[in-house]
Amino acid sequence: MQTEPILPVGPVVQLPLMLVAELQDSLMVAMHDLSRLQSLLGHTMDNLMVRFNKVNLGLQAVDLPHVSAMDDVQSHLRAAVTELQFQDMASQLIVHTSLMLQDCAFRLASETMGQDEGEEPAPYATMVSDRPNPVTQSEMDAGSIEIF
Amino acid sequence: MHSILAVDDSPSMRKMVSFTLTGAGYQVIEAVDGQDGYEKAQSHPIDLVLVDQNMPRLDGLGLTRLLREQPKYKTIPILILTTESSDQMKQAGRNAGATGWLVKPFDPVRLIEVIQKVIR
Repeated sequence: MQTEPILPVGPVVQLPLMLVAELQDSLMVAMHDLSRLQSLLGHTMDNLMVRFNKVNLGLQAVDLPHVSAMDDVQSHLRAAVTELQFQDMASQLIVHTSLMLQDCAFRLASETMGQDEGEEPAPYATMVSDRPNPVTQSEMDAGSIEIF
Repeated sequence: MHSILAVDDSPSMRKMVSFTLTGAGYQVIEAVDGQDGYEKAQSHPIDLVLVDQNMPRLDGLGLTRLLREQPKYKTIPILILTTESSDQMKQAGRNAGATGWLVKPFDPVRLIEVIQKVIR
């Protein structure tokens, strides 16, 4: 869907060029930090999955008598499946937040510095994220199920 | 043994789905996005499709529409498993031909119950 640029209305605030540049730098640093966070989450998730699989395979390999303690362990493993989906949700949140920050940085540059001669205007339609946040959950409780 | 096509661009989600469904006795075929899912749906016999919504190349609704155009997928259950929970998105899923809408994170026991209910 094409998004129309939101033109400023009402009072116009003027900012010193250096301040705008510093704000842009801060936004870029925040985006870079989010990218590192994404990598950390990915690495952690890979390690967690290796350990999860080893525990599961270990349980299958040993010939233990059927006792309630084993049922408890299996039950905890199943519960962990729900919580181990955190990386997918966190990753989507990070991507969405990064796009919002990128939009802010582009808008700042476009509104305050304009374009150089011969430079194409900034593509608002791709800059402004009009997409609602894909993740609305704030806890790792199991989500709803609806059969049509 | 029933075959389930699990389509998600997140490797961790594919692993969680695969762990859950293979443990319940299903054969799981994994696909990394909607396009990959569409191709695997042509080359494997599939009894149910479990698909994420937000993916590169082809999203879950797009894959659902493409599959529903094919006679062999007219009645195969297609479940959307996604973080998206708005009524608007659910309606879009219904319009695309999805069988159900599951909001992440999933509980393995409930996921298996739903699959047992809709699969043939």
